[in-house]
Amino acid sequence: MDFKLSEEQELIRSNMREFAAKHVDPIAAEIDENSRHPAEVFQKLAEGNWLGIPIPQEYGGAGADRLTHVIAVEELSRSCASTGFTLSAHVDLACTPILLFGNDQQKAKFLTPMAKGENLGAFALTEPGAGTDVMAATTTAALDGNDYVINGSKTFTSNGPVAGTYVAFAWTDKEAGRKGMSAFIVPRDTPGLRVGEHFKKMGLRASQTSEMIFKDCRIPKENLLGQPGQGVQIAMTTFDHGRMGIAAQSIGILQAALDEAVQYSKERIQFGTPIARHQAIAWMIADMATDLAAARFLAYYAAWLKDQKQPFSKEAAMAKLFASEAAMKHTTKAVQIHGGYGYIKGAKVERLMRDAKITEIYEGTSEAQRMVISGNVLR
Amino acid sequence: MPEMIACFKWVIDEAYIRRGPEGELDLSSVNYKISEYDRNAIEEAVRLREAHGGSVIPVTVAAPEAAKGVKDALSRGGDRAFFIADEAFHDLEPSQTAAVLAEVIRSRIPHDLILCGEGSGDLYAQQVGPRLAEHLEIPCISFVQKLSIEQGRLIAERKVEEGLEVVAAPLPALVTVLPDINVPRIPGVKDTLAAAKKPFVTVKRDELSGKYEAHLATLLVRATQMERQCERFGTQPEDVARFLESLRKKGAIGQKGG
Repeated sequence: MDFKLSEEQELIRSNMREFAAKHVDPIAAEIDENSRHPAEVFQKLAEGNWLGIPIPQEYGGAGADRLTHVIAVEELSRSCASTGFTLSAHVDLACTPILLFGNDQQKAKFLTPMAKGENLGAFALTEPGAGTDVMAATTTAALDGNDYVINGSKTFTSNGPVAGTYVAFAWTDKEAGRKGMSAFIVPRDTPGLRVGEHFKKMGLRASQTSEMIFKDCRIPKENLLGQPGQGVQIAMTTFDHGRMGIAAQSIGILQAALDEAVQYSKERIQFGTPIARHQAIAWMIADMATDLAAARFLAYYAAWLKDQKQPFSKEAAMAKLFASEAAMKHTTKAVQIHGGYGYIKGAKVERLMRDAKITEIYEGTSEAQRMVISGNVLR
Repeated sequence: MPEMIACFKWVIDEAYIRRGPEGELDLSSVNYKISEYDRNAIEEAVRLREAHGGSVIPVTVAAPEAAKGVKDALSRGGDRAFFIADEAFHDLEPSQTAAVLAEVIRSRIPHDLILCGEGSGDLYAQQVGPRLAEHLEIPCISFVQKLSIEQGRLIAERKVEEGLEVVAAPLPALVTVLPDINVPRIPGVKDTLAAAKKPFVTVKRDELSGKYEAHLATLLVRATQMERQCERFGTQPEDVARFLESLRKKGAIGQKGG
């Protein structure tokens, strides 16, 4: 048993901390307020190989392990959850399925520039009528000569407005059920693909989310990812990875909430003493620190399993479930500790609380995580 | 092509130091880092290498735990490193550090230029650089905020009390740098991974010929306590008088006529 990170992981964590403090902290409130994608930050992240940490160097990545990536997402999210999530969605939801299911040509053509950060990736699965119930999707891809023709629409596509490469899902054989959906790599400039308007969200506002409309969108057959009918499997495997990213994002939010709560409660005087000395506040902070430690162990363990090439699907779901619910619970407490000041725009805890909510919803709601976990436990 | 040594110190990251109940420093959960100005020294060596070629060799004298610092220095652009490591090298005083560095550098590391931070993040004694230059009998240029190598000579801009001083020196020489000299890069992920594969030489204490005894004894280290008080005053003449009286009472300014 060894709880120690490697020296490289520790150094990479402190480098990301320095990066985020220097380039992200100063703009985090502004990009939240304006719902702006910080392209200038992503340019710098690309230069430091942060946009392809777990992708092998032969495909343009840094060639580190998954745990290192999880640590980087955590530290970045501690400064700005939107920025951390944009990175996670790019790597976990778009680069990862191409790495795992793509052929050599697809990896060279699509994955390599993505892992280098030359363009961002997005994952287009959810539809207006199909969220947790993936099978309710209606988008189709019909084979026509050497092309697939995709028709339908997607929604809540994270990174949709800013991505250059999409991993999109459509039925190639609706009759075949779970084995009838396929995955495709769709470049942004493909005729027939229209990226809808960026949604205005409650939180995570600097992460760009949109609809995607496919109208007779024609892509060459070689852009099929994996085998025909492998789409559901690709989507589920991708989610296993994405959930570690959301767990990391939640941990970053939670750490930030704890940092803010500790600092404020030591400074704020009520009844003649810092409120941190009041048991009511001290115990909130104790619970916060405990859940943070537990969430971190779950997430690091899931990533470690992945790096050991062992099954990690259940553990990733547990990490995502626990970390996201802890983030929501304790950002609410952090606002409570700040009292009225925490309810005012500009207080970091106000942003953290809004950002936390989505972690219980996307990449599988908490309810969906419980389905995955109970399905594993009750097998 | 210049062979450049960048000396660095692995210091406690002051952000993690806490004050214990008796005013002692609580170091139970501290992290370590390369001293800030030493990062500037490494960065400057890397920049000079980009301009003139040559190589950059980070060197430190430290306890064995500083191995992570050696990787950090290599990730910042060092080509190979020297790690002078021993359990006895905890909390060396500047004269010891300089003497140990001098012995190792003189006997093992050919050099044209040695770069040091102006002072370390923990003690800021500003002694290691000048002492090391004395040991090696080479010129020392301190307080440098701009540096170049022109026709085999060093041109350095020094920040001195009454302005700037531009000086030249033949190589080999030693330079201590100020933080204004550059903005150190944050290593990318590949830089950190590559650092683990770069060569470094570990030098043990029993490989040194000198004894390097300490001359100083630390008797006590205590945290200072800063108290903040807030009082509000208006802008009327009587408020100003009250404000001055308040400052006098607190001893912040002298007594009337005192």
